[in-house]
Amino acid sequence: MKRRDFIKNTGLIATASIAAPYILPTGRLFAASGTRIVNHVVFVLFAGGLRNQETVDKLYVSAQSGFSSSGNIMPNMLTGATPTNQLVHTPWTPILTNPLQQKGTLFKEVRYAQGPTGHYNGHTVAITGRYTETGLNLNTNPEFPTIFEYYRKHNSPGESALNAWWLSEGLGPYTTLNYSAHPSYGPTYGANYLRPASVLELGLTAFNQAVNYQPDDVARINKIKNFLNNNFDKTIADLPGIFNTDGDRDLIRQFILDTVDKASTGQLPLPTPGNNPNFLTGDLINIAASWQVMETFKPELMVINTFNSDICHQNYSSHLGALHAADYGIGWLWNKIQSDPVLANDTIMICMPEHGRNLQPNNIVDNNGLRAIDHTGDDNSRRIFAMVVGPSGKVVQNQTVGSVSNPVGQAIDVVPTIAHILGFLPDIPGGYLNGSPLLQAFV
Amino acid sequence: MKYSILTILGILLFFSCKKEYRYIYDVENEVVYESNSEKNKQKSSAQFISILYSNLFQTSISLQESNQLSELRMAVGDKQVADNLIINNYVNSAGVNLPTDADMRADIPKFVEKTYIRFYLRKPTPYEAKFLKEEIENDPGLTPKLIYAAFAESNEYKFY
Repeated sequence: MKRRDFIKNTGLIATASIAAPYILPTGRLFAASGTRIVNHVVFVLFAGGLRNQETVDKLYVSAQSGFSSSGNIMPNMLTGATPTNQLVHTPWTPILTNPLQQKGTLFKEVRYAQGPTGHYNGHTVAITGRYTETGLNLNTNPEFPTIFEYYRKHNSPGESALNAWWLSEGLGPYTTLNYSAHPSYGPTYGANYLRPASVLELGLTAFNQAVNYQPDDVARINKIKNFLNNNFDKTIADLPGIFNTDGDRDLIRQFILDTVDKASTGQLPLPTPGNNPNFLTGDLINIAASWQVMETFKPELMVINTFNSDICHQNYSSHLGALHAADYGIGWLWNKIQSDPVLANDTIMICMPEHGRNLQPNNIVDNNGLRAIDHTGDDNSRRIFAMVVGPSGKVVQNQTVGSVSNPVGQAIDVVPTIAHILGFLPDIPGGYLNGSPLLQAFV
Repeated sequence: MKYSILTILGILLFFSCKKEYRYIYDVENEVVYESNSEKNKQKSSAQFISILYSNLFQTSISLQESNQLSELRMAVGDKQVADNLIINNYVNSAGVNLPTDADMRADIPKFVEKTYIRFYLRKPTPYEAKFLKEEIENDPGLTPKLIYAAFAESNEYKFY
């Protein structure tokens, strides 16, 4: 090929690439920049490592040797009869009349295709939309941008951190998932983070003498503080971590005090049968606080996790109980969302485990004779599901997509799906995301 | 000759060994800064909480309380929010070691200098001393509690 022809052809290809919209394998186009399906997204990382056998396959204990009882222990999320015999958990009456599966699309066989099936890896994959091939440094933020950073950087106009929240059941490395170490993104675009169990429990004593200063006193403190800060060459931007504007910070501070006060006086709505605090788990505390954040700030992007099901390493029966309780919490949260005038019919909820668990159990047997199960990267631990639930007319209702022989969707697809819902997917630069939005879920 | 050598060795032996006394002064080393430009390292959570407690209560924090507050600080993404709540709680606690408003106003320059040393481990510049002195003089509502809160929340207090 002559040099002139090569340049000409290359130019034509480049022009066509720029002019032609990116066509997805499904044949649909990305939504135009800024076009939103709804204004609020809640992503529940239904985590702790859940097998499809106990969730969407509804096998209950029948997957274990010597047991035959099957049934659905997630009656708020999935359709199907609950188990009636060989019960190893205490059934709670569903809070939803119709399970969430009927209010959206269930991707029954999603794959966690690459990398170690570790909890932090799984969380990172779900929140960044990038597989992690190696073990992660647990003390640092993810390498690639999180969904929060994409949201805050590429929305037009840019959104306040009050609109993006990450609430985790536990501390440890999960505190670092609200922003990445990526040089083009980072804490400037990060989400607000809370671990409610610590804030509510320790805040009862740590904040019990805190007062609401009168506006005059607030002004006095701020005047002195501003003077002091003006005489120092470093700012809060030099400190690691997310930071809010002064006004937003005041709102968050008041929110924390109010929520701790509600918890201490029994005023906090709880995702338990009869609002009974004795039934609370770490997962349900996280969900209760999530609702407080949603009700107060109406965030556009909220990511929370559940994690108690990870007890499956030691106790299979407790694993089923935790799964059942978390399902109740998700149903409760959906009910709350639908009771809110701003969020109702304008919110899409996505639920997905971070990874699965092994096909074969380990040797730890619980009191019911059931064997515990780990997650060490076998094919079964890469099987997960995803559920996209939202208003009819926007989300396809009562639809199931995918099968064992025809898996649809990957763990890396949730980030582009959220970006698609909130209308900023076309604004994310090429090369960052390897997944595709789960377009089958949308009308 | 033999006796002379033995005598000299004996004298040397007698005077060469002397019990060594080790004096331990119950004073912690503290860096006194010439200026705030020397502060370029961020305090860790444990350092921040421990120093804050010492500055406000003039005693050491218990390990349990330190651990609890470190966890609490980790549980809130915006550390400014967490710090604000912790400081608010401390300066309004019963046991906090604060000068009275009358003490402050009895000798404002002394209060200003002691406050800078207490929180920043340095003396105020003449400009800083003048500003804070005038603020106190001109605002009867400005109390030691509010000034301590402002110092503890300031950016310089987060570095060493």
